Amino acid sequence: MTREGEVHGIPADPSAAISVRGLTKTFGNFTAVDGIDLDVPRGQVFGFLGPNGSGKTTTIRILTGTSAPRRGQALVLGEDVVAHPERVRPRIGYMSQKFALFEDLTVDENLRFYAGVYALDPAVFAARRRYILEMADLQGRERELTRNLSVGWRQRLALGTATIHEPALFFLDAPTSGVDPVARRQFWDLLYELAGRGVTLFVTTHYMEEASHCHRLAFIYRGRIVAEGSPSEIRANLSTQRVYDVTVRDADLALSWLETADGIAEAYLSGAALHAVIDRGVDRGAGALRDRLVAAGFADAVVVSVEPTIEDVFVNLVSRERGA
Amino acid sequence: MSGAGVRIGAVVRKEFIHVGRDPRLLAVVLIMPIIQLLLFAYAISFDVRHLPTVVVDLDHTPDSAAYLRAYEASGLFDVVGHGADPTAVDTAFDRNEAQVAVIVPAGFAASLARGEQAQVGVLVDGSEPNSARVAQTYSMALNQLYGRALAVEWASTQGVDLGQIGLVEPRLRTWYNPDRASSIFLVPGLMVVIIMIVTAQQTAVTLVREREQGTAEQLMVSPLRRIELMVGKLTPWVIMAFLDIVVIAVLGVVLFGVPMRGDPVALAVGATLFVASCLGIGLIVSAVAPSLDTANMAAFLVAFLPAFLLSGFAFALDQIPPVLEWISRLFPARYMVTISRSVLLKGAGFPEVWPQVAALAAYALISLLIAVRLHGRRA
Ligand SMILES: Nc1ncnc2c1ncn2[C@@H]1O[C@H](COP(=O)(O)OP(=O)(O)OP(=O)(O)O)[C@@H](O)[C@H]1O
Ligand SMILES: [Mg+2]
Repeated sequence: MTREGEVHGIPADPSAAISVRGLTKTFGNFTAVDGIDLDVPRGQVFGFLGPNGSGKTTTIRILTGTSAPRRGQALVLGEDVVAHPERVRPRIGYMSQKFALFEDLTVDENLRFYAGVYALDPAVFAARRRYILEMADLQGRERELTRNLSVGWRQRLALGTATIHEPALFFLDAPTSGVDPVARRQFWDLLYELAGRGVTLFVTTHYMEEASHCHRLAFIYRGRIVAEGSPSEIRANLSTQRVYDVTVRDADLALSWLETADGIAEAYLSGAALHAVIDRGVDRGAGALRDRLVAAGFADAVVVSVEPTIEDVFVNLVSRERGA
Repeated sequence: MSGAGVRIGAVVRKEFIHVGRDPRLLAVVLIMPIIQLLLFAYAISFDVRHLPTVVVDLDHTPDSAAYLRAYEASGLFDVVGHGADPTAVDTAFDRNEAQVAVIVPAGFAASLARGEQAQVGVLVDGSEPNSARVAQTYSMALNQLYGRALAVEWASTQGVDLGQIGLVEPRLRTWYNPDRASSIFLVPGLMVVIIMIVTAQQTAVTLVREREQGTAEQLMVSPLRRIELMVGKLTPWVIMAFLDIVVIAVLGVVLFGVPMRGDPVALAVGATLFVASCLGIGLIVSAVAPSLDTANMAAFLVAFLPAFLLSGFAFALDQIPPVLEWISRLFPARYMVTISRSVLLKGAGFPEVWPQVAALAAYALISLLIAVRLHGRRA
């Protein structure tokens, strides 16, 4: 794990896909991005995680050259993106959760438009078009209005149009929000395919289970990077604690009990169940926790010790930051 | 083609597809001009008072002077000048100093004295539709009153039957629009309203829509430059605005017999500067409007309303309250209405309309500069 400031002194790395030093963005008195350092190696899937309003989109805007930072250095594909965004733009792609397709245009018209925006050669466009239609499974539907496609197809078409110019680095800002789990999985398959062809992916997401799809992760909270590393390195953050999965009918009531109970470091909803985190020093096992819950009136409580997920780590990091 | 050319071309083509797919928009652009032309072909008369009037007394008698004083006394006409001969009328109309002229020919008093019909000429500037119509009605009423008074006076001294005597008969002529076909007045003004809607309103809306859809964000990350996006998005509307000008002009000439007497180059230069001003307004609205609804409403307020109400199209500018008249100077429409009426109906060229052309040039420059600044700041 790399805390903010540790890589200070090491200059930005032009051979990395992204290398950022001391990047700061303010809106009036409010600091949305607070002196972050980041290194994203080429060819990796880099997950940029954080709760709502933590500064993910703001960071992406700076890295794509659409917003100027207050301070700091940002090298993207070896170029200073703040000074020369136009040098970077032909080689990067961007996709937001809004898909950014023209809904009153057909599939083909959308592709053609973006081909024009990137001034693609007709021969290159023909090849890319064929590839994208096949990738998005849209062959035979070229003349359909984008509006009439279901969300999953639209999302794949958006992926196709956003990568029509074969960018070396692809930013995805919450690309899967509002998409059902099956379509999300299919979408990640396509992202892997891109990564397999050497494209660097910089992905933000709210879905913690997507974090495990990434080679590397950074967790941003209130504009600061609070954790960075591979998924297993991130999980090692919780090596001094144990995580228990608690299933109980009256989860709300049990949660408020756990939050105030002695020896429970952290308690929170995780899916349908509750997670309780206990420091190893005071931990007496799943059975002991179950007994305490039963004694407190939750007779149906089932307690299982689980491997900490990425989400568990982040919930803990956030509560540590709050306490700090 | 250069990269910029390819990129702008892609935007232009896309924009035309949007319009083609949107029946409402298509109606606004293509059908509205025709509907408006027909709708306003029979304009409603509005209350008109204090018509600027120039009088020419060629009779130089106490009777002719008394007759002309009656105009002044009525409160309907403001005598703004006394001309020595009929050419003064032309000059006053050309300079927009007067809308009505009353000419009392030599022999007026003599005809009355003989009990014959005395003739006066009432000339109305036909390029102001409401004023023209109302001026005509007023002067008729006035002449009837005055004629009766004269007759009574004459009859009481001569003891002759009232039914036999001659009355003052006004011979009304509409100077610039001899048949006073009302549509003729409307065509030049309508052109201005349509250009304003097609350019200012659509410019304001089309950029905000892009922002609201999230496509603007996507395009900002692409090599498409901001200025290229603007040029690409605005080009189709400029083309359609000029297409509308041609459609209205052709309809005007073919259906309503608009004379097109003046210098077409002056009209074209004026129209180009006016379109540029409208784009400036639209761009300013699109830069400050937070949402599509606001943009629509703002465009309606700054484009449609002034073009319609404060341009001299629906209401003559010297008939509206002074505050509104002052406000009308802040919008480009009134200058363009003057230019198109002067050129189409009065045979004007640069010598007559240069002040309006200059005003539009200044307007275009300033509004576009503001727009570019505002849009640059958003980054
Ligand atoms: N243009 C702006 N003006 C003022 N504040 C802003 C602006 N853009 C973002 N912010 C603030 O900066 C903070 C970070 O916003 P940002 O959009 O980067 O968060 P995020 O991590 O992308 O959140 P989410 O997961 O909800 O998309 C938020 O508190 C937001 O309100
Ligand atoms: Mg965001």
